[in-house]
Amino acid sequence: MKNVLILCFTMLTLPVFAQVTISGVVTDVKGEPVPGANVLLLNTYDGTTSGLDGKFSFTTTEKGMQSLVVKFIGFKEYQLQLDLSKSYTGLTIALKEEINQLEAVTITAGAFAASDESRRTIFRALDIATTAGATADIAGALNTLPGTQKVGESGRLFVRGGDGNEVRTFIDGMLVLDAYGPAAPNTPSRGRFLPFMFKGTSFSTGGYSAEYGQALSSALVLDSKDEEQSSRTDFGLLSVGADVAHTQAWKNASWAGKIGYTNIRPYFGLINQEIDWKKAPVSIEGSSAYRQRVGKSGMFKVYGNFNHSDFSLHHHDIDDPDVTTLIDVNNNFRYLNGSYKTSLNEKWSLRSGLSYTLTQNNLQQGDVKLNESDEGIHAKLAFDGSLSDKVEIRTGAEVINRDYQAAVDTSSFVPGFHEVISAAFVEADLYASNKFVTRVGGRVEYNNLLNQFSVDPRISFAYKTGKNGQVSFAYGKFRQSPKNEWLRWDNQLGAEKSDHYILNYQLIENRRTFRVEGYYKTYSDLIKFKNGNPFVLNNEGSGYARGVELFYRDNKTIRNADYWISYSFLDTERDYLDTRYAVTPSFASAHNFSVVYKHFVSSLKTQFGATYSFTSGRPYNNPNEDQFNNGRTRSYQDLSVNISYLPKPNLIVYFSCTNVLGYDNIFGYEYSNTQNADGIYNSRAIRQAAPRFVFLGVFITLSKDKSINQLPSL
Amino acid sequence: MKHVNIIPLLIAALAFLAVTASANDRYTEAMQKNIEIVYKGKSVEEIQAAVNAFERIGDAEKSKWEPFYYASYGYLMVALRQNDPAGKDKHLDLALGVLKKASAVNPGESEIVALEGFIHMIRVSVDPASRGQQYSGLAMQTFGKAIGMNPENPRALALMAQMQYGTAQFFGSPTTEACGTLQKALEKFDSYTSENPLAPQWGRNMAEGMKEKCK
Repeated sequence: MKNVLILCFTMLTLPVFAQVTISGVVTDVKGEPVPGANVLLLNTYDGTTSGLDGKFSFTTTEKGMQSLVVKFIGFKEYQLQLDLSKSYTGLTIALKEEINQLEAVTITAGAFAASDESRRTIFRALDIATTAGATADIAGALNTLPGTQKVGESGRLFVRGGDGNEVRTFIDGMLVLDAYGPAAPNTPSRGRFLPFMFKGTSFSTGGYSAEYGQALSSALVLDSKDEEQSSRTDFGLLSVGADVAHTQAWKNASWAGKIGYTNIRPYFGLINQEIDWKKAPVSIEGSSAYRQRVGKSGMFKVYGNFNHSDFSLHHHDIDDPDVTTLIDVNNNFRYLNGSYKTSLNEKWSLRSGLSYTLTQNNLQQGDVKLNESDEGIHAKLAFDGSLSDKVEIRTGAEVINRDYQAAVDTSSFVPGFHEVISAAFVEADLYASNKFVTRVGGRVEYNNLLNQFSVDPRISFAYKTGKNGQVSFAYGKFRQSPKNEWLRWDNQLGAEKSDHYILNYQLIENRRTFRVEGYYKTYSDLIKFKNGNPFVLNNEGSGYARGVELFYRDNKTIRNADYWISYSFLDTERDYLDTRYAVTPSFASAHNFSVVYKHFVSSLKTQFGATYSFTSGRPYNNPNEDQFNNGRTRSYQDLSVNISYLPKPNLIVYFSCTNVLGYDNIFGYEYSNTQNADGIYNSRAIRQAAPRFVFLGVFITLSKDKSINQLPSL
Repeated sequence: MKHVNIIPLLIAALAFLAVTASANDRYTEAMQKNIEIVYKGKSVEEIQAAVNAFERIGDAEKSKWEPFYYASYGYLMVALRQNDPAGKDKHLDLALGVLKKASAVNPGESEIVALEGFIHMIRVSVDPASRGQQYSGLAMQTFGKAIGMNPENPRALALMAQMQYGTAQFFGSPTTEACGTLQKALEKFDSYTSENPLAPQWGRNMAEGMKEKCK
């Protein structure tokens, strides 16, 4: 009994006698103190927190060999084996910086990333939907960012002196062959994909990743949403049609479908149009998305979209407006995109995708019928790996297979081509520290049609100059197959090429962003008409573009308000197609300026928005003048407004109007092919179809959770 | 002789109990000391030190959910004291990260789920215009889940009442539902008892403060 008592007593008191002290200082590698670090003996309670001077001291009753661990956010964990038979004083523990992708510098040259997930973006997915004048069109909203030029009669994105088709759209990494709907000549087309489908939008105006090829000027990368969390049904009643959508959510999966009908005829009946419609545009569209979570980290997505639209109009002759030609357009579009993403292990993850696009365009112009079809399949497999906290790798391979045919019913000759592009890419992000990163990579392509093998390098750097500012530089070589309309005549042409050099400075401070970017871009191997003959083509065209762009965004200074200002200066010339020598192309404008303002008034439950855009005059060729391409249109101006009113959580009333001031914008001039009696080529201005476009919509959402509404989709 | 044999055994047993009790007391004591700090701590440094202590205890006591729960609560308190959005987000990320460790230990604990919802709720406040849609829905869902797991959890109810009130106010709709939930929360705060001496105690003041709005 005595023994037991002694044993018990010893057990309870022994530690008191075996107490040792551990003290020292925690610093970073430069010797600066690190306060707040957790200093501890592994798997014990014993430890402390370093003070403001980095110093720490604690006592322990543990014995033998123990691990001293020091950890703090932003640093690598430090471990040291200590034999606790004695005290340790004056330990100096230098923590090494940990590279953290969220905190680390990012390459921003040329890139405008909009994401709901990442919190350091300067442009968000919701911004696209609520920008006045954009009428919920992705291209329309991105047109308020620097690097874009407003080309009012096209509706497409034109980036840094590039043509509209030099911007390519990718959904979940997969190429979309034709991202815009059909439009009558000289009227803007709309994007085929609605902004609310996407959780992230990355708009690059140059120097983009080696993963994206077949784009000369710009890559628009859209990431679709993951599975929906709750079931709902949405109804939209619009002044130009109606739509209904339903979302069904299960535990790990969701399905969403939408059907929309747009008929602009009643609207055109009310508001006088510049265009002499025979049948104003009518379209029926359906889309469906299925998402399934697989295992812990897998995500399987399928998205499909179909669209049918048609219209016809009378085209009036320039010389004699009474002479008309009928133009009839009938367009079918199908798009199917399947993708699967999963992590393979702690270091590697896999992305794979398969997409299919079919565009059929039946065009009748007078007596001539042209039936065009473009069918593409894109398959891709890519791997992302973190080799260490300092090295990130992205690599993959893809095949783009395209069949194009254009049948003219007056001829038995069917011009067309079958193109297969096989490509592989690899890219590494090398972090020297949280402050400096280098991205180096390249893209290898083989094009069977052009019989061209190519290697295109990409390199970029980014350096954090302070807590909130950073500088980055990007260089890349880019290529794109010639447009269908050239390639179908001559399958022997080569790819068009461009080189981008971009220097960027960005400062983000407390919900204010300032950005300035300068660039130089060269074009080579552009398609050129030999001796002005559009049937004899070669790759002898060339050009350049250079400019400076500014962006400022502030959602702090004015309460409940958010605004951004963009300015782009562009100097570009190209010698291509029918130009006699290097000239500024008709789609390019030297100055583009826009201000977007959004203000939420809580008491009215209403968001008011306004967008003002200014574009300096664009060149056009006046055959009546001796000098080629000497004409300049007057400047373009537009003030658009929108109002979203939320009387109830599940009801939104939306109103928008473009060009409120009714500015008569002229995009260019068309000329007659022949001189009139006075030896002059008659002209006609290319104008907006109507001074304004007014839109009214009512959106109702039915769900179990009554607070859900369609705001993100407006 | 018989009872002589029993006595050492009894003492041994008692001693054993004393040792385990003292180990338990040591856990409870260490926790209570630091819980006090995260509830009342004024400076970020004080709270960070308590959070560090919770992480140490949590690493040593692998079967307890409370250390990581309070570490998360501590980070949330630090987040609330940050002025710039990036600093808020960083600490909310830390709060969520360490809370995952707590729910790995005890996935069925309603308090952990309620705290997760609280983190989402604060996430909204960083940038209501762009995050409201995503995170307020998420916060509501999470509070709903916490209430489902334990309808007696007053904190889950009080937080839910706050979200409902905010939504009703935004749309100018009646606040009856929110005030009903608040009433329930206040009742549960009165009736709430737990055998766990480390059970969360916070939230009552917040609910009392909201009572004014529901008059």
